[in-house]
Amino acid sequence: MDYTVLEVVIIFVAMAATFVLGSKYLKSTEISMALAGVVAIIFSTLHGWTTTPVKLLVEGLFTNMDLAMTFICATIFINIYSSSGAMTTITRNIVERINNKWLILICMGILMLIPGAITGAGSVSVFVLGTLVYSIVRFMGVSEKKATAFVFMFAIFSAACPPINLWTMLMTAQANMPYVGFELLLLLPIIIAGAFTILYCGWGSKRAPKEEILATLPEVNAKMYGFGGLVRVLLPLLTLVVLFVLTLVIPFSMPVLGLPLMFIICTVVAILCNPNKTSVKEYAKVISDTMEQVFPLVATVLSVGIMQNAMAASGVKGLIGTAFVLLPFVWIYALILIVGPFAQGSMSYGSAVVIGTPLIFMFNTAGMNVTVVCAALSLIFPIGDCLPPSRIVGRLVLEATDYKDTYTSFLKQIFVPCLVFGLLALIMLIKPAWFTFLA
Amino acid sequence: MLIESIIHYIYIALAGIFGIMLLVKVFKREKRQGIVYDIVYAYCCVPFLMRLLGIK
Repeated sequence: MDYTVLEVVIIFVAMAATFVLGSKYLKSTEISMALAGVVAIIFSTLHGWTTTPVKLLVEGLFTNMDLAMTFICATIFINIYSSSGAMTTITRNIVERINNKWLILICMGILMLIPGAITGAGSVSVFVLGTLVYSIVRFMGVSEKKATAFVFMFAIFSAACPPINLWTMLMTAQANMPYVGFELLLLLPIIIAGAFTILYCGWGSKRAPKEEILATLPEVNAKMYGFGGLVRVLLPLLTLVVLFVLTLVIPFSMPVLGLPLMFIICTVVAILCNPNKTSVKEYAKVISDTMEQVFPLVATVLSVGIMQNAMAASGVKGLIGTAFVLLPFVWIYALILIVGPFAQGSMSYGSAVVIGTPLIFMFNTAGMNVTVVCAALSLIFPIGDCLPPSRIVGRLVLEATDYKDTYTSFLKQIFVPCLVFGLLALIMLIKPAWFTFLA
Repeated sequence: MLIESIIHYIYIALAGIFGIMLLVKVFKREKRQGIVYDIVYAYCCVPFLMRLLGIK
């Protein structure tokens, strides 16, 4: 192949220009990403680097299709579960039983960590608990913006939290390292940053009186109270947790269900536990509305897939990776908190492969502890889940919390906790020897 | 294994259901009207329908 760096840079600029112009004039980030991918594929075809442009486009649509399926199934589950009044029952019980604001915020933070820690995806935490946690945090007197920031921060912490950290897993798999010794290295910064986030969001807020909060919550079916109600509320969630845990504990005895099917099984359980007389037509309406609700996200992940495939085929993906990892160490330290999250925003988990693994090899040649380096990088990438072009978790949080203000105002709100989290990871990256005892 | 095959077919059925729902939404939906989203809906239903048809 006869292509030069300059030609790839031109493609990269053309892609960026298409994305910006598309976002401005077509008012849709999804189609802008797809168009940016199309532009890269056209350039590649004109250069003769590919003879199958349509195949590249269609295969790109399949790149994140499983993720799209997970999003659809998870949203169907949570909407059907909520329609039974289960969410309101949980909120009512927490507000009635726990009086300490900080204790509730800590409980909410820990609760948010569980789904993402087990699945490795922050989006699952948002789907399963985002709306519930948001409403409870709001009742603690936390402002709308800070409550949204709370949900987002714990969603990304949950993705980075052990036992399943996909960025670490991808990097270790590529670098032929064992996925061992990461638990404390990942957990400690998350605990520190989580504590900071709770203080940052909860400081100065005043919990509303219990009666006032309960008055604002809708009434639920009487069958949702007592032991029977407890079973109805907990069984769908418990089924999900049991399925998650079984796949981890007995992976070889258990058929591979996959996240979408797990959510469908839990949806069936939620339907069986629903005390309200809901007709098939009403369930069909919930599913139809869910498709419209989740569509922006589905369109985003599918469009990102086109763009990722186009970037790989045109050499732009490689250009970004090599340009960054060939920099001197001091520049890597200076830029990693910008490049890492933006790579995540544009390449999703591909960031770990394109930037993470070469960096591990580089740090290894310098004699640094690569387990700590790998953990540090795995903490930096999740921050990019709020950054363009994909903004997957960020957009999901805004959907879950029905955020009214601009996306920029959301980014401003999460900047400080993200910076603290990023700086903790940066310290680990600069001085890995200090953290070796945790590995 | 039989169970693995059943799961495989469940996924094809799910992809088909979602694909057909997206296809319906190309023509009839409440939110996000306009030709731009017609196009977005149209290309988004493609992978689901292809999975249903067993093309990929």
